[in-house]
Amino acid sequence: MHSIQVETAAHDHMEKPHALAFAIWIKRLAAKLWLGIREWCGDSAYERYVQAQRTNSEKVSLLTPAEFYVERLNRHYSRPNRCC
Amino acid sequence: MKRPLSVIVWIVVALVGAGALGGIAFHRGEPLNATWFVVAAACCYLVAYRFYSAFIAARLLALDDTRATPSERHDDGRDFVPTNKWILFGHHFAAIAGPGPLVGPTLAAQFGYLPGTLWLIAGAVFAGCVQDFIILFCSIRRDGKTLGEIAREEVSQRGGFIAQLAVLAIMVILLGVVALVIVNALKSSPWATFTLAATIPIALLLGLYLRFLRPGRVLEASFIGVALVLFVVVAGQWVAESPSGAQVFTLSGVTLAFALIAYGFAASALPVWLLLAPRDYLSAFIKAGAIFSLAAGILLVRPRVLMPPLTRFIDGSGPVFAGKIFPFCFITIACGAISGFHSLISSGTTPKMILRESHARFIGYGAMLMESFVGVMAMIAACAMTPGVYFAINSPASIVGATSDAAAATISSWGYPLQAQTMTDLARAVGEQTLLNRAGGAPSLAVGMAQIFSSTIGGPRLLSIWYHFAIMFEALFILTVLDAGTRVGRFMVQELGGRVWKPFARTGWWPGILISSALIVGAWGYFLYQGVVDPLGGINSLWPLFGISNQLLAAVALVVATTILLKMKRVRWIWLTLIPMTWLVIITMTASYQKIFDSNPRLGFLSYANALAAQIAAGKIPPAKLADTQRVIFNQRLDAAVTAVLAAMIIVLIIEALMQWYRILSADPKSVLHETAYVATRWPENFSGASYTATAAEPDAPAMEG
Repeated sequence: MHSIQVETAAHDHMEKPHALAFAIWIKRLAAKLWLGIREWCGDSAYERYVQAQRTNSEKVSLLTPAEFYVERLNRHYSRPNRCC
Repeated sequence: MKRPLSVIVWIVVALVGAGALGGIAFHRGEPLNATWFVVAAACCYLVAYRFYSAFIAARLLALDDTRATPSERHDDGRDFVPTNKWILFGHHFAAIAGPGPLVGPTLAAQFGYLPGTLWLIAGAVFAGCVQDFIILFCSIRRDGKTLGEIAREEVSQRGGFIAQLAVLAIMVILLGVVALVIVNALKSSPWATFTLAATIPIALLLGLYLRFLRPGRVLEASFIGVALVLFVVVAGQWVAESPSGAQVFTLSGVTLAFALIAYGFAASALPVWLLLAPRDYLSAFIKAGAIFSLAAGILLVRPRVLMPPLTRFIDGSGPVFAGKIFPFCFITIACGAISGFHSLISSGTTPKMILRESHARFIGYGAMLMESFVGVMAMIAACAMTPGVYFAINSPASIVGATSDAAAATISSWGYPLQAQTMTDLARAVGEQTLLNRAGGAPSLAVGMAQIFSSTIGGPRLLSIWYHFAIMFEALFILTVLDAGTRVGRFMVQELGGRVWKPFARTGWWPGILISSALIVGAWGYFLYQGVVDPLGGINSLWPLFGISNQLLAAVALVVATTILLKMKRVRWIWLTLIPMTWLVIITMTASYQKIFDSNPRLGFLSYANALAAQIAAGKIPPAKLADTQRVIFNQRLDAAVTAVLAAMIIVLIIEALMQWYRILSADPKSVLHETAYVATRWPENFSGASYTATAAEPDAPAMEG
């Protein structure tokens, strides 16, 4: 009985790092997927815009999220963007 | 992978692909399993991507990752945005994948599964992917310029003008024909009509949410919208079963045509955030979901392909559309193998977002391979149904008759057995009054998809839900093409009008908006109306016209690509674009000639007009139908004129290009390459695009990820 308990504890000790690493890997994968979907559908477009403006010039007057949203759509839908 | 192992793996992939392709081509007798098609296509794509696209990237284009792309040099967070290659692949694929690769192969299935499948694979590998890849590369090297601008600089002023006119012409014909596909799918179907109509208030609701409540939070709004759309697919059944609901939403083809014209005008003239953009978000998510579900369904169900490899209609007598296998199989498949319209996406948005030149191979060549795969799946879905059912759904009443009995008798006499009761039972099973005479490809594809989906989830009990889900999916993203295309067409009309009278070009000027919207909607609306009232079903005339214009635009793109390659002194490899270009010119010119002059009234526009005129002269047309007949005669002559103008445009462009090629080869100093100057990239080698950790509450804390 005693030896079985010792073996189980040793087994847990061996398994835990693998389980933890797997959980971390899954979490990172899910986070990457989430970021990818946000970028694909345009959910993070405003954040991109803010960063680009601040990177490229020191004095910037930023559009509000609502202004940016409308301005971006107007530009996006003024050129061919959906195909046959 | 170590080199010997890699060589063995690629030899195995090539052999498996060749075996599967051989199986498809030479198998006779028992119906084939769809797995053969999936394996053949996947192996051919893998080999083509690994070797052919790598060859083009290295030897023809010499892609250079040390060179800064437009997204690095002009990064403004708006148009020029450095984007991770996987995300940009998703953007690019969502932009190029429209209804064409679904409808074209479904219609081309009337020749049997073999010619369409072979052209989908070979056409994509050797023509479509090459065009998309090279035009994307050319635009990257020119700061993201459009095809028209590149043609003006590299070919000639006149060449650029022709390219712009070709774009406007294809846009008008495209919108007319895709609208006709929707009309044929929705007419006399209260369930489908209610479902699609309900997506308009849903889109308006999302538009207001995204504009005023949670600006730009696309993801959460899309989740709400998709849930509502799925609910209305189910709710459509309740509406169709209630007498008053069925009465309101049972509409004729002409009424639906005018409803679509009104919708197109509203979507073009209203603010883009209110209707157009939210519908596009809905469509993008449902499109991605439906395409992946179809792929998964085909792999799980592995349906048998019941259509023969070749049908008797390769001789040109097909009921779905007239014309022999050459050139009309190629003209009909169009987008699934090569689409001229893709060159507008490859020279518009994508080059401004690409991170490195080498990504052009994955995005340009790879995304087109995926579109071709969508076409192969559509071909499987169409060919998995009994041939008799396929012809009953897709043939016009003037050929097979308007009743189940008449259709069954006619189609059985062609050698494709069909019981009248089969069509009645199938219509009842999918929740429709009838499935006869639904030319356009959408209903037969929906039946095929519903049969595949219901074999996976729900069984026959859910067949009607799956059918209407498939119809909603097709109609929703056709509407997205319709409204986005109408708006872009409006801008083109305003730009052209602005050359005559400057205020007309102001995009915020209301009279200009209303007049230009009315002009573009009137143009495609006319083609739609003529298709709806055409006794031969409309698709017979309009889909080939669309295919010709689309393939002509592809020829324009390949002419531009060939000119640039000559200027880059890649004469040795010029056949890579010259052969597909020549092929496209041959098929479009042959198809144009036959559509205008063929003596068969079902094929030739002029002979059909002349036959009707002769009937009027002989007094065979009753007075009540005289006006309608004269309108059909006018429409046929108009279609002949449009085809002739399109063919003339490509001839002029080729003459312009030949003159330019002569100057290039004779080392004329005026023939210079208009690439932007080399600027070295400042990004580290492992930089894979900007990524953001900021939330809506913390927009000030973006972080770059290496």
